[in-house]
Amino acid sequence: MTANILDGIVLGLQFGLLAAGLTLVYGLGGVLNLAYGQMAVVAAIVISLAMDAGLPVFPAVAVGLLAGGMFGLLLDLTLLRPVYRRRDEARVLLSLLLTLGVSFIVDGFLVWRYPLEALSLHIRGGAIEILGVPMRRGSLVASAITLITFAGLYVFFQRTTLGRAVRSVIEDEEGARLVGIYPNRMLRLILILSGVLAGLVAVTRAMITPVDVHSGLSITVFALIVTVVGGLGNVAGALLAGIILGIVNVIAADLIGSYISLIILLGAAAVTILIRPAGLLGVKE
Amino acid sequence: MLEVKGFSAGYQGNDVIHDLAFHVDPGEAVMIIGSNGAGKTTLFRAMCGLLSPSSGTVLFEGDDITGLPAEYIARLGMKFVSAERHLFPRMTVQENLLLGAYPGKPDPETISGVMDLFPRLAERRRQHAGTMSGGEQQMLAVGRALMSRPRLLVLDEPSTGLAPLLAQEAYQALGVLRERGLTVLVAEQQVPLAMAFSDRGYVLENGFIRLQGTTEELAANPGVRSAYLGVT
Repeated sequence: MTANILDGIVLGLQFGLLAAGLTLVYGLGGVLNLAYGQMAVVAAIVISLAMDAGLPVFPAVAVGLLAGGMFGLLLDLTLLRPVYRRRDEARVLLSLLLTLGVSFIVDGFLVWRYPLEALSLHIRGGAIEILGVPMRRGSLVASAITLITFAGLYVFFQRTTLGRAVRSVIEDEEGARLVGIYPNRMLRLILILSGVLAGLVAVTRAMITPVDVHSGLSITVFALIVTVVGGLGNVAGALLAGIILGIVNVIAADLIGSYISLIILLGAAAVTILIRPAGLLGVKE
Repeated sequence: MLEVKGFSAGYQGNDVIHDLAFHVDPGEAVMIIGSNGAGKTTLFRAMCGLLSPSSGTVLFEGDDITGLPAEYIARLGMKFVSAERHLFPRMTVQENLLLGAYPGKPDPETISGVMDLFPRLAERRRQHAGTMSGGEQQMLAVGRALMSRPRLLVLDEPSTGLAPLLAQEAYQALGVLRERGLTVLVAEQQVPLAMAFSDRGYVLENGFIRLQGTTEELAANPGVRSAYLGVT
């Protein structure tokens, strides 16, 4: 049982990180980015190519995170322009369709040009025992990176003026404008941040399992499930929902079988929509 | 300080306010009075960049700001406090105030000035804005607007949702600000409150300015007396 819970937490932190980038963009701008998984895959492929070209791992990762951020910036500057001119439901729908298109194009391009490229980051060294359970080093490093990332996000959103300004737009866009905050600039910043977070997803995932050109869709799907359960626009909710779902997933896979765990996750999302439409930590509008 | 000319605006092509003209000089307190639905809120929203006007111009300190976005106008030093307040409900009083200074750095002197003016805000510093009473939220909305040391404060119905005593308190605080030299433009349907505070005023009815004058002139006008002051 302890092993299941520890594995569940490792997976759950992954889930939480997955959802963070997606949920921020949705909460802030009402934009549902279905190319989110492709952001992660692009970052992974860039890192892999950079390492193939002989770059050491840290600079390669930096280049990959930059590529993720650029992906977000590019979306903001081009395809999302018409999306920003719409409101509410039309905005969500248009963003969903356009980014779905982007995801197909990116997938197609990557499968065509780099069909065999995949990112695996091996952390050397044997297992480390935690509470009597041997844990893979890769899992622990990935979890540590995730926790540090969330701590960074917490400090950014709670302690810095820019982070507060971003939150203010989520809370009351008109209030933010009256204070002198440009909602569109905040959204651009968050799209870049979301791309960098997607890059971190790729990096931490690659420490546990290879990230290849086909990983995009599953990353987006898991991110969506966790986002729904955690509450849209809520980073702390994403982390909490991620950990809960991670533990549920591992235990379900252990008791019933891994083929059923995705169904259970989708079920959890469906139940959340029924019982708490705003998510675990969500607040009613 | 502020000059509005030939100003019309509305929703979905139907103008609610028509060809309005008025001005506010530096150091003045000017009221726009009128009943519910007269167009006061539409006027302020269009003036402050939350709604596109259909015609007319708005000059702020000589610059044409007509149709500029609200966030730009706010940074120029004309701060709008909406009747709905638009606070950040899940942020503390302190955070709301800090954001009021955005993008500048909050100046400790300004914060303590706001806290002196509204001691309740100091008591509730760490409380979430959304959990406060209507009166406290109104104080916070004004306090947040003051954080950037605006040159013109535009207030839409500061008495909305407040008990009579609290509404009076709100106007007392505005009176203090005025004495310190702040220029204020206020829309109000509780006319006696606004009259006790303003130098001059305009009467807005069905989207048109029907009357204008000093507060004394308006208070002496028989039409104003019967319609807004309950005197027959």
